Amino acid sequence: MEKHEGGVALAPGDTTAVYEIYIKTTPERLWEAITDPAMRARYTFGVQVQSDWSKGSTYTSSVPGVIDISAGENLEVDPPWRLVQTMNALWSDDVKAEGTSVITWEIEQVADSCRLTVVHAQLRPDGNGEIYGGWPMILSGLKTLLETGEDLTTPGSLLYSGASA
Amino acid sequence: MMSGMDEVFKALADPTRRQLLDELYKHDGQTLTELESRLPMSRFGVMKHLKVLEGAHLVTTQKRGREKLHFLNPVPIRLVHDRWVSKYAEPWAATLTGLKRRLEDENGEA
Repeated sequence: MEKHEGGVALAPGDTTAVYEIYIKTTPERLWEAITDPAMRARYTFGVQVQSDWSKGSTYTSSVPGVIDISAGENLEVDPPWRLVQTMNALWSDDVKAEGTSVITWEIEQVADSCRLTVVHAQLRPDGNGEIYGGWPMILSGLKTLLETGEDLTTPGSLLYSGASA
Repeated sequence: MMSGMDEVFKALADPTRRQLLDELYKHDGQTLTELESRLPMSRFGVMKHLKVLEGAHLVTTQKRGREKLHFLNPVPIRLVHDRWVSKYAEPWAATLTGLKRRLEDENGEA
């Protein structure tokens, strides 16, 4: 595994997806939006993430009582700049078979904005695209939430609203 | 620079650049040399087009050792979509989700 400055370790032969978005906000607000269950749920279709966010701790993503989305370990936690997590998808038998991948969130301040890069690595070659296919929608919703304080209505954003009723 | 929608449309308004995105869509994370081998174009030409795509954030790069890999970043296209499409699509998605749930409930009862 090689590392580059501020970077993400990409192994040869690794199957990786990379997403980048600029958001007009502070690193601290962005970090909060990623790690706070209530804020997170507003742009992840109602899915909450629970963790104590210490290095080596575990996290779970779910709509409590309705569906488990994913779980994993927080490999690196460096607020408000960097979070590295393993991910085991849980929402269907198909995605469970994809095994463990690694998600790196990197935040850089650029003038009055932040560049957020999400690198989803160690994906299975020719694996199920559902594992990482939701990122553009999620990141778009995150940008809208931080820049306007409002929820972005995207297809699927109401997926789990009222689902627990 | 931050909203960058002009850059996205300009970058997409060129068939070679769309082809480069197609190549990355088929196989993400390629080096300049790999991309160059797929296009009937000089290395300099490919570099020039990649630079425009990077400026529009449609292509982002990550290093792997000494190699620079190019990745398709679909997020700006998603932002274009969400600006004009999503509020119209949402009722459809909600209806379909509701329909799915009703059908599954019926199946459950049957």
